[in-house]
This record gives sequence, C-alpha cells and structure tokens, in this order.
Amino acid sequence: MNPVAVDDVDELVLDDPSVDPGALPHEHEATRPPKLVVRDLVKEFPTRGRGQGKVLAIDHVNLEVADREFVCLVGSSGCGKSTLLNIVAGLDLPTSGSVEVDEEPVIGPGPDRGMVFQTYSLYPWRTVAENVAFGLECVRMKKAQRKERVDELLGIVGLTKFADHAPDQLSGGMRQRVAIARALAPEPDVLLLDEPFGALDAQTRRAMQDFLLKVWQRTRSTVVFVTHDIPEAIYLGSRVVVLASHPGRVIADIDVPFGPGHGPGITRDPRYLDLRDEIEELLGSV
Amino acid sequence: MSSTTVTGGRLRTGRTRGRGRKQHALFRLRGEIPLSTRIGLAAFGVVLLLFIWWLAATVLFNEVFLPSPIDTLHGLSTYGSSGNLWGDVQASGLRILKGYTISLAIGIVLGMFIGSFQSVEALWESPIGFLRYVPATALTPLFLFWLGIDEAPKVALVIAGTVFFNIVMMADVARLVPREMIMASYTLGASRTRVMARVVMPHCLPGIIDVARVNLAAAWPMLVVAELLAATDGLGYRLTVLRRGNAWDQFFAVLMVFAIIGIVSDLLLRWLRNRVSPWARP
Repeated sequence: MNPVAVDDVDELVLDDPSVDPGALPHEHEATRPPKLVVRDLVKEFPTRGRGQGKVLAIDHVNLEVADREFVCLVGSSGCGKSTLLNIVAGLDLPTSGSVEVDEEPVIGPGPDRGMVFQTYSLYPWRTVAENVAFGLECVRMKKAQRKERVDELLGIVGLTKFADHAPDQLSGGMRQRVAIARALAPEPDVLLLDEPFGALDAQTRRAMQDFLLKVWQRTRSTVVFVTHDIPEAIYLGSRVVVLASHPGRVIADIDVPFGPGHGPGITRDPRYLDLRDEIEELLGSV
Repeated sequence: MSSTTVTGGRLRTGRTRGRGRKQHALFRLRGEIPLSTRIGLAAFGVVLLLFIWWLAATVLFNEVFLPSPIDTLHGLSTYGSSGNLWGDVQASGLRILKGYTISLAIGIVLGMFIGSFQSVEALWESPIGFLRYVPATALTPLFLFWLGIDEAPKVALVIAGTVFFNIVMMADVARLVPREMIMASYTLGASRTRVMARVVMPHCLPGIIDVARVNLAAAWPMLVVAELLAATDGLGYRLTVLRRGNAWDQFFAVLMVFAIIGIVSDLLLRWLRNRVSPWARP
C-alpha cells in the first residue's frame, strides 16, 4: 500500500454520511483562528561528551490545532514527540520557531497548558482531593470555592469516593484519572498528554481511552495526545499527526473518519483497519 | 515431570536431582526471611557479641585493661552514683545539639539548592569537594587558637566534621525529586518558590531526616576529640579523667553511654521520619 496523501483521507471522510461534520476541525478553521499554532519549530540538542556535535531532534515542524480538537501525535521513539510536547508546555525552549496559544506566544510553563505524564507524578504526601486542588491553590482560589471545584472534578473522573485516599492506595488507572483531574482543575486552554496510558495494562488502557473521550466531550477542551501506539492514536484522535524519527518531522496529517461519540466498535471498521495499516507503513518506510 | 536424559543441568547443580539451582532459605540474595528467624538471629548476634567480649576479657587479655561485661555494668553503676553521669551527658548532648543543628541547617539549605539548580551545583561543587577531604579533626588545635577553649571550638569541630557530609547527601536527596513531578507542578501554575516549598521540600523531608540520622553518628567522634583535648565536663572529658585514674570499668561504662545515646537517637529519628512522611515508609 502506498503512503496516503492527506487528500485521500479527506475524501474518505467526506464520502461517509455517518460522520458528524461538526466534530471535524475544518469548520472551525474557516471561522476562527486555531487554538494552538506550532510554527517552524526546530530543536537541537548538544551531543554528550566531547566535540561540538548537535543532534537535530525536531526539524521544522508546523502544526495547527483547532479549538476543541483532539489531536494525536504518533511516532516511534526518537521522533521528538515528547520534546515537542514539552516545548508546547513551555518546559523546554525551541532552538528556533515558536508556539502560540490563542495568538499569544508561549514563553514558559503555565496553567493554561495542563500536562499529564506517563508516570502520573502525583504528590504522594497529598490525598487525592489535595492533589487535584494543587493548581487551584496556585491561583489562590478561596477554600470553599476550591472544594466545590475539586468535588466537581472528582465527579467527572469518578473518584468522589476516593477523595481522602492516598495516591499509593489507588490502581494505575485511578492514579492517572487523578492526574487528569489535577491537570483539568485550572481549566487549561490545551490539555497535553504524554503517553499517559503507557504504563497501564491492556484492559485498563482501553477503559481509560473511553474515559478520556468522555472527559473530552464533557469538558470541551483542546487535547494534544502523544503516543507511540498507532491504534490508540486512531481510536482517540479526530486527527492523527504522524511524526518520523531522526530528525523528528511531520510526514502525514490525517483526519480520522469517526465522530467523537464512537464506541469500541470502530476497531472492526475496515476504515479503521486501513488507517492503521497506512500509518504503520508510513512509520515503517522511513 | 520429566525424567529426561538431559544431564547437563544436573551435572552443573550438583547433589540434588531436578532442574534449576536450589536456593538456601537463609541465603537468597535480597530474599526475605520469616520474622521469627529474624528476631532469633538478632538476639543471637547480641549474645555472640557479649560472649566474645567476655571471652576476650577473661581469657585472652588482662581483665584490668579490658573489663568484662559484668565489670562494665558495675562501672556504670559506680559512674551513675558518682553524680557525674547526668552532667556529662547534658554537657556533651548540648554541644552536639548546637553544632549539629547548625550543620543540618547549612546542609539542608545548601544541599536543596545544589541538588535543585545546576548553576548552584557548579559554583559549590569544587570548594566543597576540596574541603570535604580536609580531616576536620586536624583542625582542632586551630579551632582552640581561633575560638578559645570554651564551647565555641567544640561546637565548631562538630560542624566542621559533619557539614560537608550533610551538604553532599542532602543534595543527593534533592536530586531524587522526579523531574516530571516538578514539570507537572509548573504546568499547574506553580511559581519556582512554590515548587521548592510545596513540592521539593515535602518530597525531600523523609530523605532529609534519614541523612540527619546517618550523619549524626559522625558528630560524636568530633565532639570526643574536642573534649579529650580541652574540656572540664562532658563524656569525652570523663574518658581522660577515668583513664588517668585507671578506672577502666567506668571508662567502658562511658563507651556504653555513647552507644546507648546513639541507638536511642537513631530510633527517635526513624520514628520521626515515619511520623512526618508516612507515605515514604519503607
């Protein structure tokens, strides 16, 4: 099979009557500016040891993410996907190029770009509720208001009963739900997730994927999700951006032909399988 | 089960028939043993020590210079009823408390910054690396010249002898804070100061107490050196007095007092660590 051009997939989408066009980014793109813009991003790292060598981790990456869009960045290790996410979060600086959120340049980390890591990184000395409250303390929200918001978020992630538990009393999936609730607490413009389900077992992982889609629909947030798992990217994303390695660069930008309300049934859909094969081939051929 | 014709494995493992290398219940690398066995072995260790001590005192050496455990016990009661015990413990304890508190304060502050900021690390690494290998005990006469013969040189020696261990090990504790935890905190809107106070410090607290506990053992020898040279009270001073008076049973009793203080402070700090950071209980 040949690597797909973006147009092919677009056709695939438009031909399908069951797809809710409101879920697709094109409509927004026409009417308002994108939520997140990555412009001509380059990142070089100095090589370790002697010498002046440099490694090109990200090579002129451009990316636009519309408001309320769910974009998955997929690529093998070494494609700079985590580095890209860190730069969007403001945790790392680009060598050249820029990142903008709502047309404002990103100069450092901030609560407008919430981040969830693979290792949960919860505070073990805080209870579940106190973990979720951390970001609200940072903006000096009043205690009563804070409690209300924490309760609401714990309701969304289904952990109300576990509010006073310590993180190490929870399973991996539950911990990651706490991390997601914590990142959502300051109402970020963009939610960034770096292989968040990578450490979970297969069943939990599937459940967490459906959970994340529900949270996304409910909170109407913009999501950038990094993964090396191709089926996961297609299952979750309304768009999949494929990154090649050494140096990291965008080699395909594919709209996924399934609406946001889809269930696990799509994994048997021939279009899903085709897309999976196409991306596998794209990543295998470079 | 197979009664195979493969003999290679059997040849290699030796005596017992079957596959694999048989493991001894007591000597598995990092293996666990039953609690009863543990307590039994611990008690045996104490008995063994006392037995060797007794053997050495009664059979191998002159009992005058190496008092037996029972003589030492007598010595302890003589020392206790002489009225000096409590005063000596207080005098030495206060010096340790002053010196080690200052040492810890410097160690925690510098260590946290060195472990958290590469710039601070680069600045302090060489001076500390250099000074760390200057034997603090060698500075004793200098401290006596500079600071007089009162409390100051003794406290100073305790500081000099422990502060570099504290700094270096506290920095290691700070380096154990996961980068992703710090990064997550920044993306939640925390300022650098808030990350230090609300993330780095609570994460380091159990490690800080552990380092304080381990290095406290290095503070006592410093004090004894200072008290041996110039003091009018304290456990180290008592050792010189008892040595001159050839009261070796009491001399050994003082050594026991050091050991008891050490064990008690160790247990207290362990308890404190588990109390303030139950999440980090091993």
